[in-house]
Parts: sequence; structure tokens; C-alpha cells
Amino acid sequence: MSELRQIAFYGKGGIGKSTTSQNTLAAMAHYYGQKILIVGCDPKADSTRLILHEKAQSTIMQLASEAGTVEDLELEDVCKPGAAEFDPEDDTIDGFIMCTESGGPEPGVGCAGRGVITAINFLEEEGAYDDDLDFVSYDVLGDVVCGGFAMPIREGKAQEIYIVMSGEMMAMYAANNISKGILKYANTGGVRLAGLICNARMTDREYDLAKNLATQIGTQMIHFVPRSNHVQRAELRRMTVVEFSDKSEQALEYKELARKIIANDLKVIPTPLEMDDLEALLMEFGLDEDATLDQDMIGKKAEEA
Amino acid sequence: MFICGYHFPAEEGNDVAFDKVIEKIDAAVGDVSGKSVTLKVEDKDGRVLEEIAIDAGTFIHKALVDYYEKSEIEDEYKMVFYTNKYQISEISKEVDGDKTKDVCKILDDMNLHRVKVA
Repeated sequence: MSELRQIAFYGKGGIGKSTTSQNTLAAMAHYYGQKILIVGCDPKADSTRLILHEKAQSTIMQLASEAGTVEDLELEDVCKPGAAEFDPEDDTIDGFIMCTESGGPEPGVGCAGRGVITAINFLEEEGAYDDDLDFVSYDVLGDVVCGGFAMPIREGKAQEIYIVMSGEMMAMYAANNISKGILKYANTGGVRLAGLICNARMTDREYDLAKNLATQIGTQMIHFVPRSNHVQRAELRRMTVVEFSDKSEQALEYKELARKIIANDLKVIPTPLEMDDLEALLMEFGLDEDATLDQDMIGKKAEEA
Repeated sequence: MFICGYHFPAEEGNDVAFDKVIEKIDAAVGDVSGKSVTLKVEDKDGRVLEEIAIDAGTFIHKALVDYYEKSEIEDEYKMVFYTNKYQISEISKEVDGDKTKDVCKILDDMNLHRVKVA
């Protein structure tokens, strides 16, 4: 029995984190027989919908509020088997995926981080992290500016962090910020950065940008996931691409990413960049190969440049 | 870390020298001089934009033979992972310089590439 690995996918909102994580985890179960528990840590509760073929499952916080307290819940109430081939009872594939969502407070009220840690503690106490599992995966919103969302790192739960980003400035800013959060808790909790996943927007020189950011913060750009309409086709059916069309090119990209995550041993304490260095990186790689941007061009219109 | 599909252990760090990648590929493919490599470029709608013959004796030639032989894809033309095509281009720019500059420019684009080795 291999040791349980607790991984997390972090990234700025809207970057495609939940889609990337669900497709990658589906590939790990589908092609490599991995047994996985997903703990969604996003108040939107959309970290498991493609695995469950559902709109959104009831969250631990929601069910606790209905039942009175979290102590009134049973594991079966909050932890659901994946649909079809991801169900442990289904023997189409060797792997399986179990799903749970922490949930959070109503918008504008309370701290979502409290929901996350309450949910994780409940799952641990109820024995959800059992010996059968190969991976527990946390899907976490945000860029760690809110300490609440850093909970899986702060509490030493997630040990191996994958940051989903793209070649856009705010995605890179968020990736760098998340690295700062990891650095803060690396020595006390043992959390490590395991790689950047570039969920590509297909902008010019995006690979160069992502790769150089990864190198400079001490990690690797583990995989460049291209944009594909197949992802949306699958999402409309509330499915992962892997399940929808397992021989499609996009599914094979996720398969390759899954293979790398399973074999990955490069887990580092990151060296985040200062804002000036991040901007310099964008200046250097964020344009056509032949173009250059001088300091005196800042604030100039296209026709003036 | 992973370069051209190969795993380099963590103790080698996050900036593995290209020589080590070339060494691995050389050891895997051996002599590739008699093999022809064709790269097919498709746009997002699957329209073929061009087909290019890759010159033997270049890193791109060797790396694509290696990719083709290792790939589990069963088609005659095998899709090249985006990560791999960018990494192949990056190494080629360093080791082959101007010789493969035009092909590198094609590899660096956002189109889907497929490779056939005969």
C-alpha cells in the first residue's frame, strides 16, 4: 500500500482550476487506477460536479446547518461516490473517486476558511481518509490573500501544491502570491510547491512566460494544457473529457499530466518574485519574440509607440 | 521534473541541462539517420495548414522520432503534446541555432501538430 498523498490545486478564480483538477483526477483514476477523494474547498461547490454528473452537491456546511451541527452528520451524508465508472462499486476501471464539498457561508457573511477546516476535520474524524486511498485532492479558490483559503496549507493538510495559472498577468500575479503563502507555512507544516499547470489561454509566448515564472520561483511548469472546445462539450454534459471521450486529444493531454503528477518528486519551498521582477518577466516574455518594450513606452497609445 | 516526457529526479533541480535531455533521447533512439519525419500542422478546426519534412541530423528530427516511438497513440500521425513541442523547440534553438529557426517558429505556435515517422 503506497502512502496517501494529499495534493491541492490552487489558482485565481476563473482560471479553470476546477475543470483542470477534475479532468486531471479523472485521468488519474481512469488510466492509472488511482483511488481518490476530492475535497472541494470553494463556496461555489463546483469542484466535483463533473465527476458526479450533477449541478452541485450539498456541502458539509449546508448539511450541518440543516442538521444542527456538524456532529449530527454521518460520513455517508456528505461523501458521495463519483458517477458511472468513478463509483467504487463500478468495475469498469480500477480507480475510483469519492467526492465531498466543504461549502461556506452566504456571500458577504463569515469566513469561508472556517468551513474548509471544519469540513476537513470532520472528514478525518469520520475516517474518510482511509487506507484504500492513493490521493486526497483539495480544490481551493483564491490567491491566499484571504487566510481562510490558506487553511489546507496552514493546517498541514495539503502537502503538495499545484498552481493552475495561465500567461495572463493576474493569473501569474496570483500564482506568485500563492507561492508566498506556501513559503510562509513551508517550514512549520511541510507544505511544498509541486508545479505550475498552465491552463492555456493560447496567447503569444504563453509557454515561455509560464516556464520562466516556474523556473524563477524554483519549481517546474509541469504541463501546458491547451484550450479545447472538447472541454466545454464535456462540461455541458456534466462530464470530464476523460469520461466523455477518452481517446480524444484533450483527454490524452490530461492523461499525460496525470502521469507526471503520479511520478512527480520535485516538491520545493518556493522563492516568490518581487512585483518588479514579475513585471520584468511579463515585459520580457509577454510580447512577440521580435518586439521589445522600453520603459519610455509605458502609458503610450499604440499609434504613439 | 519532466522534459520531453522524461522524468529527471528531484535532486537534479528545476533547471535540468539540455545535454542531459539529449543524452536520454540519444540512448533511447540510437541511429535515426534513415528515418523520415513529417510534421503536420492543423488549426483548431482540424484544417491542415501545412506539412513539413524535418531535416535529419537535427535535434528536432531525433526528438520527434523518440516521441513517435514512445507514444501510445495508435494513429499514423501522432498528436504531439503541446508541452513537448515547446520543449523540443526550446532545446533546438540552443543546439541547432539558425539551422532550425523556421521550424522552431512553427513549433512555437498555438496549432496542433502531428508527427509521422517512416
